[in-house]
Amino acid sequence: MALLLSIVIGALVGLVIVAFLLLTGRLAAHMYPAGGEGWRRIVVPTLGALVTGFLLYRFFPDARGSGIPQTRAAIFINDGRISLKTVLGKFLCCATSLASGIALGREGPSVHIGAGIASVIGRQLELSRAHVRWLVAVGGAAALAAAFNTPIAAILFSLEEIMGDLHTPILGSVVLSSTTAWMVLHLVLGDEPLFHVAPYHLVSASELVFYAVLGIVGGLGSVGFVKLLLGLRKRFLRMPRSTIWWQPVVGGLTVGILGYFVPAVLGVGYDQVDRVLSGDLVLRTVLLLAVLKGFSTAMCYASGNAGGVFGPSMFIGAMMGAAVGSTAHALFPASTAGPGAYALVGMGTAFAGIIRTPLTSVIMIFEVTRDYTIIVPLMISNLIAFYISQKLQEEPLYEALAKQDGLHLPTGEFRSHARRVNVSTVIREPPQPLNPKMKLRDVVEQLESTTLGSWPVADAGGMLAMVRVSDVRTRASLGGGDDTLATLIGEIRARDGEHAEDEDGFVHVHGDQPLGQVLARMGETRHMVLPVVSRANVRMLLGIVTLNDVLSGYGVERAAQAQDEDPE
Amino acid sequence: MARPRRFIFTFAAVFALIAALLALDFFLARIDRDENRQHAENLFRDGRSLLAAGHSADAMDKLATALSLERNNPAYGLALAQAMMANGRDADAEQLLHELLDRAPDDGAVSLTMAQLLVKTDRPSDAKAFFHRAIYGKWGSDSTTQRMKARFELIDLLARRGAREELLAELLPLQSVAGDSTMLLKRVAPLYVAAGSPERAAEFYRELLKREPTDRAAVFGLSDADLALGQLRQARSDLSRAVRQFPGDTVIARKLVSLDSAFSLDPSSRGISDAERFKRSRKILARTFGFAEQCAQRPATPAETAVQDSARAELEATKSAKWTASAVERQLALSEKLWRAVPALCGAEATNQDGVLDFLQRLLVR
Repeated sequence: MALLLSIVIGALVGLVIVAFLLLTGRLAAHMYPAGGEGWRRIVVPTLGALVTGFLLYRFFPDARGSGIPQTRAAIFINDGRISLKTVLGKFLCCATSLASGIALGREGPSVHIGAGIASVIGRQLELSRAHVRWLVAVGGAAALAAAFNTPIAAILFSLEEIMGDLHTPILGSVVLSSTTAWMVLHLVLGDEPLFHVAPYHLVSASELVFYAVLGIVGGLGSVGFVKLLLGLRKRFLRMPRSTIWWQPVVGGLTVGILGYFVPAVLGVGYDQVDRVLSGDLVLRTVLLLAVLKGFSTAMCYASGNAGGVFGPSMFIGAMMGAAVGSTAHALFPASTAGPGAYALVGMGTAFAGIIRTPLTSVIMIFEVTRDYTIIVPLMISNLIAFYISQKLQEEPLYEALAKQDGLHLPTGEFRSHARRVNVSTVIREPPQPLNPKMKLRDVVEQLESTTLGSWPVADAGGMLAMVRVSDVRTRASLGGGDDTLATLIGEIRARDGEHAEDEDGFVHVHGDQPLGQVLARMGETRHMVLPVVSRANVRMLLGIVTLNDVLSGYGVERAAQAQDEDPE
Repeated sequence: MARPRRFIFTFAAVFALIAALLALDFFLARIDRDENRQHAENLFRDGRSLLAAGHSADAMDKLATALSLERNNPAYGLALAQAMMANGRDADAEQLLHELLDRAPDDGAVSLTMAQLLVKTDRPSDAKAFFHRAIYGKWGSDSTTQRMKARFELIDLLARRGAREELLAELLPLQSVAGDSTMLLKRVAPLYVAAGSPERAAEFYRELLKREPTDRAAVFGLSDADLALGQLRQARSDLSRAVRQFPGDTVIARKLVSLDSAFSLDPSSRGISDAERFKRSRKILARTFGFAEQCAQRPATPAETAVQDSARAELEATKSAKWTASAVERQLALSEKLWRAVPALCGAEATNQDGVLDFLQRLLVR
């Protein structure tokens, strides 16, 4: 049922997004035609921003901005709820905004629209909140696959950025919806790639140095763009609430004035990206376009226009790449490829630096170009840009934008940090294990002063079980003092077996497991002390981990050491 | 999960929406394609006009946009490549042409442009293969004329490079069709001379003169063919007739005078004395030596210098010497050696500058 629903959502979202792209493209061609009168390039974006500003303020306040932070907010805060009104508003406002030449992208809004459609269907079918949340990611992936013609990157983006977890159990649904939407796109528009790229290749191994330079330039450029956007937005957000409806006009007028002199600044600008990928633009032009597009996009977004930064990131990256490539090729023509190759890598680099999804950016460029040979320089450049961006701009763009709106969304980096804190960081030396032949009376005596709630039992072959000190004491006090630990272990195995990981039948953890899992395991078994055993030999005791250790690992100090003891 | 009724209603609504959107999308896509096609056509037309007017940069701009709108239209790609060539962006043009050829390897027009590009970038050997692809490739309308055009470009290239055998190989297929067209005969006949087949050239010129007896070029060409065949008397007769036909034509008259001068210096003429033979051979050597010295465009190589020194010494030694048979042979041999060195020393066309010497060498070779 979930898979059928994924296909249906993929098809519906794909069709809606194709309509969105076609409408936007056609309207834009008529509103500010190439080679048209200069005044149009000022008036149309200004009017477009005025109209959408009013619509956003009066009717669709949730349709403002990119759509990706809003989609994430829907998943992590609103149980996957995105209203139909928001979907319609996003479609209408973004179509108007992008068709009038506002320098923003269509992918972010597409993701919001797709996620919204999935959310509406999920709620209409009265699915559980968890399922609706998943469907939001499924719809988002379908939308991105159709909007950017990259089904694999859409899957990764949905998992990496929207869900923030590559191991989420909805992979199958995301794949189905993404591929269905992509097929719809191809059914309607044919098998045309988004960008046409000549087959580039690495001219010499030394060229990797220039790609590394591109990574540095891309990383610094990305940080600059993100800081500019966030800074401008902060200023707009500080303005009186009564000005909200006309704030987008500032962005519209800015892009209009810039567009009067440099028409390539208007709109999404993929035609310019296509040209720079063919090495068609000279150094001065690409530098000018990178700066002007960066500024106009930041201004348009910060002022509250509807549209995303996904596409403009690609644009800015392509121009930065072409600038580096032109310089490198002018200096070392024999050992470097043309600027088009660098523009291509630059797209991924800026995406990795601005959006901070390095894996998605690599796959996305691969899908856009359908060329494998560029992958190595792309990975190098992307990782450098990603690293620089992480160091100089603490918060990723979408998280920072959400935070400016008062929403505190979980970041992928936070999750990966949580995964990095594992058992090996808090493991402690094991105590001397108890011998299974020991009488319970002797055990009680030996453990009289212990603060540990559970104790390992081992024979010559290794670990046998964890026994609760309270269990031993109870059994001894009920007249079983002469019984051996071995008799008790049988009962323990029978009780703990359902939580054990193997036929040895005792609960344990491994050194590489995250502390979250240790907590879960402690909760399931009510052992506040767990043995850490080898993955190669599960009976080899490496150490122990206690509840206190786990909490210390998270930076939480507990007042009472005694709380490691058995709660009973 | 929803109640069955709600479930069915939701899915029915979604499927209805999908059907409606499908219709809407196809409608929008058709409008999009039509408008893009129209816009691309306009850009293509403007781009071609700009290219024809010599504004290659502006033409490139228009044609690149046209191509981005209609990627599958090879005419736009070809026009863009031509604009790039005109703009000096040969590497980009080559890359684009390769892409076009990858899609349609037998496209005649693209192959011809690629050949032209390779000729322009001084890769004539590579160009030949593309000329052949153009000659035997697919053309849209007027394929016969286009193939002929491609073949003649190749022929011109081969003639310029002096590749006689290859040139003849390209000319031979034209032999059967040349008779149908006077224009073609006129074009092909002189090329046969360059290809080292003057008998065919003479045949074509005679055919031309049958059709147009007053065709000056044919008369002139026939004399050239006769000269190439070594039939100097016949050539003189052709030229004399031409002088009578075109009394005011100084070029023909000059050629006849040169030929007569050559005859007057011919040391192999019958009935002249040994002393006269010696005198003529010495004059030929002196004239050749002087010409080679004057026309030189670069310093002589050691081998060329050696020949020049020998000629100088011979002229000095025979200044007041009596006739000897060996001296005549020596002088003529040195003269021939010097004359052979002239193209390398003075340029390929240099031998045409002194008609008398040219004729003389032909006489002597005969």
